[in-house]
This record gives sequence, structure tokens and C-alpha cells, in this order.
Amino acid sequence: MSDGWLALLQQAFSLLLSFDPHVWAIINISFSVSFAALLITIIPSMMLGFILAFSHFRGRWIVTNLVQTLQSIPTVVIGLLVYLLLTRNGVLGDLKWLFTQKGMILGQILICAPVLIALSQAAFASVDRRAWETSRTLGASWLRAVWTLCRELRGPLLLAIIAAFSRILTEVGCSMMVGGNIMNVTRNIPTAIALETSKGDFAQAIALGLVLLILAVVLNFILGSLRGKALPRSH
Amino acid sequence: MTLSHSSDRSLASIHAKNLLISFNQQILFSAADLHFSQGDVIYLQGDNGSGKSTLMKLLAGLIKPNQGQITSQGFAPKTWWRPSSLLGKAVYLHQHPYLFEGTVKYNLTYALDQRALAPEQRKKRIKQAIHMAQLTDLLNHNASDLSGGERQRLAIARAWIAQPKLLMLDEPISNMDKHSQRLVLAMINQLKQDGTGLLISSHQTCGLTALCQQHWHIKQRTIHTSIHVPQTDDLHDTHTTELHYGTSN
Repeated sequence: MSDGWLALLQQAFSLLLSFDPHVWAIINISFSVSFAALLITIIPSMMLGFILAFSHFRGRWIVTNLVQTLQSIPTVVIGLLVYLLLTRNGVLGDLKWLFTQKGMILGQILICAPVLIALSQAAFASVDRRAWETSRTLGASWLRAVWTLCRELRGPLLLAIIAAFSRILTEVGCSMMVGGNIMNVTRNIPTAIALETSKGDFAQAIALGLVLLILAVVLNFILGSLRGKALPRSH
Repeated sequence: MTLSHSSDRSLASIHAKNLLISFNQQILFSAADLHFSQGDVIYLQGDNGSGKSTLMKLLAGLIKPNQGQITSQGFAPKTWWRPSSLLGKAVYLHQHPYLFEGTVKYNLTYALDQRALAPEQRKKRIKQAIHMAQLTDLLNHNASDLSGGERQRLAIARAWIAQPKLLMLDEPISNMDKHSQRLVLAMINQLKQDGTGLLISSHQTCGLTALCQQHWHIKQRTIHTSIHVPQTDDLHDTHTTELHYGTSN
């Protein structure tokens, strides 16, 4: 590694460890927006995943296919859709959410929900049906029985949450279009990395990249340890 | 075909009329008139795949028939969160019981969590159940570590603790060691004495049959009912039962 690279890494670490206000403001925005989007999405998405796995209503396959299609739509396209909705003449223009964190949250909800629905549907479909029947026959209410299944499936469901969170935390397209990359308001880690790299300020880009890298290592470690527990029970 | 013996209208009972169950447009079984009340002990016989488990799930309110009516009396009224009044009071026990992830105690108290019981009463009931199942030493063990017989005993104790009015046991002593068979027989006998209505399925006669007063037989896709219960050569000898199931230990 050349001296230039070492110096950049040193600068990046010092920005993080000295709690540089600009860098930490970006990290704060990134995590708060993504956490908010995730928190809003978790319960309805998992409920829908449960309904898709357990009930046989008409048009179930249409909803399932729609969810799977939404998963593969590029985030920049979702960003464009949300932009058109939130723009002054858009359907939701009166909300004045364009270039705000609320707008970014809305965009991230649309990115996060299909991942959570599809993965939780797969998890609920894999559960032993006797778990549901046992819970119900012992007198559990519908909600308590769903909660019991979630408890039984905590490994796969946590995997779904982590996968959805890492997708929204690292997406650039939607945040850039809907948030507008405004410093201290809507600038998050991916949009800041893109901007600082284009400006040639690699130290800040590397510092923010390191945050994502450390997060990726931690999440992968958790995913790896959960994978064994996520296997369906045989008894 | 009705075999209702319970004249006491305050007893909980299920009445199934003109039942028809089919899968993929193929009839599994039909029944003109079935009556299952508290205090009844019924032996349900049928070959593998004849629909014994399906019938039990129907009577427990877990599934609905394709045709016919299932009415009940003596159960709590329906609510929006509990669409069948049978749930929780007409309990179905799988042939291979499902135990939730967690300790023996968690499984045992699962049904108690849905009931408002005084702490003293709750403690007493747990103690009784664990003593009956002879699992006292395993209370804080993980349920997944239990043997087949222990799992079945825990499942019956878990159902007993829920104080069901009717209990449906699907092949309760199949593939079980002698000790567990004896304990399960004793537990079922206790339930009978408590006045719980019991519907016990088996594809062959066994020691459990001796407890039964009625016989439902799924034959040629029809449920036949009678008061004559087929018996093994020596009904009260648990060794005969063990031989029938070919168990060792």
C-alpha cells in the first residue's frame, strides 16, 4: 500500500475517532432515516407475509408476484416514482416532503417492504403447521398464535430484517433523488460517499465507507450465526 | 346414527351433521350424524389415511368441512379474535406433538397464559400437571431434548392444564416405551375421571380401547358409529398393548 493510501486511511480513522461533526451528522441521518423506515415497515410487512403464506384468498399469486417484482425494481426507479409523487404537482405534493427526511423515509419504505414481505412469507411458509394448530387449539387468540409463530421463526425473521435494513442503508438512487443530498438535512452515507468521491475528498468518503464496511462485517457475522438456527425444525 | 348419551344440556358437546370432507374433489369421508359430549370416551378407528386426524381437527374447530354443519353447546361464545368457540376448549393433540421452542415449563404454561388464574391456583395446577406427567426433574430443560415418550406426556399435561372440555388424542401411545405407555394410560384415565370427553384414535385396538364406551369407525369413506368397542385379548394388560405396538426398552 502506498504512503498516499496510508495517509488517507489515517485521515479517515481520525475523522471517525475525533467525532468529526460533519461525518457523524451524516452517519446519524443515515441510521435514523433507515431505522424509521424499517420500524414503520416491520409489522405490516410481516403480517402480509404471514397472510400470503397461510391463507388462500383469490389473487394471492398476483400479490406474491407483485411483491417479488417490486424487489427487483432498481432503487433509482423507486426514487423517480417517489419524486413524481412528492413533487409540487404530484399526488402527494401538498405534503411538501420532497428533499426532506420524511420523503427519504417514504422512499426507503417502498424499497424495504417487498424484501421483508417476501422473506417473511418464505419463513412462515416453512414453519411446521402443527405449531399454528397447537397454538390455536390451546386457546391462543389469532394475534397470540401469530406471535408464537414469530417466536418459533425468530432466526429466519431476523435474517429478513437484517437483509431489508442493509438494503435501505446502502441504497443511493432513491436517497439522492428524493433527499437531494442536502448537508445536515438529507445527506446520508451513500450519497455523501458519492459526492465526496466526485469532489476528490477521499478521506471523508473512506471514513463513511468504513462505517458501512464495519456494519457489513457485523451483520454478516450475525447472519452467519443465525443461518444454522434458521433451518426448519424436523420434529 | 346418533350416539348422544348426554341428556344433561349443561355439558359441553359437539354435534356434526351431514359432514362431507373432500380433498382435490375426492371424498375423504362423510358422516350423517356425530355427537361428542363431555363424559364420552370414544374410540376412533380407521386405516392410515382414512381421515382420523382430519375428523379430529374438524371437531376441534381447526378446519372447516366442505359440507355439513358442526354445532356446539356449552362453550364460550365466539368472538372476533376467536372465530370458533371450540378453540381452547375442544383440544386436539397431534400424533407427534409439537413442542414450542423453549423449556418444558414454557410449554406447560402456554395455555395458562391465555387464562386469568390466581397465582396460587396457577402454581398448583403446574405442580399437578408436572407431577402427573412425571417430568418434575425436567421442568427447566429444553423441550427439544425430551424423548418421544416424554414429549407425548408433556403434550398431554399441557392439554390437561388448559382444562379442556373435550380432548382429541391422535394415536397417543404409538411408538412409545413401556414406562411412557403406562404413564400416558394413567393420564388419560385421569382425564376420563375428570369428566373430559375423549376421542382417541388408533388404527388398531390397544390398551386404550378398554377405556372407551363408543366406537367410531371410518370404513369405506363413511363414519360408522356403534356402542360396541372392539377389544384386545387382554384389555387391562399393558404388556399386550406394548406387544401390539412392538416397542422395546
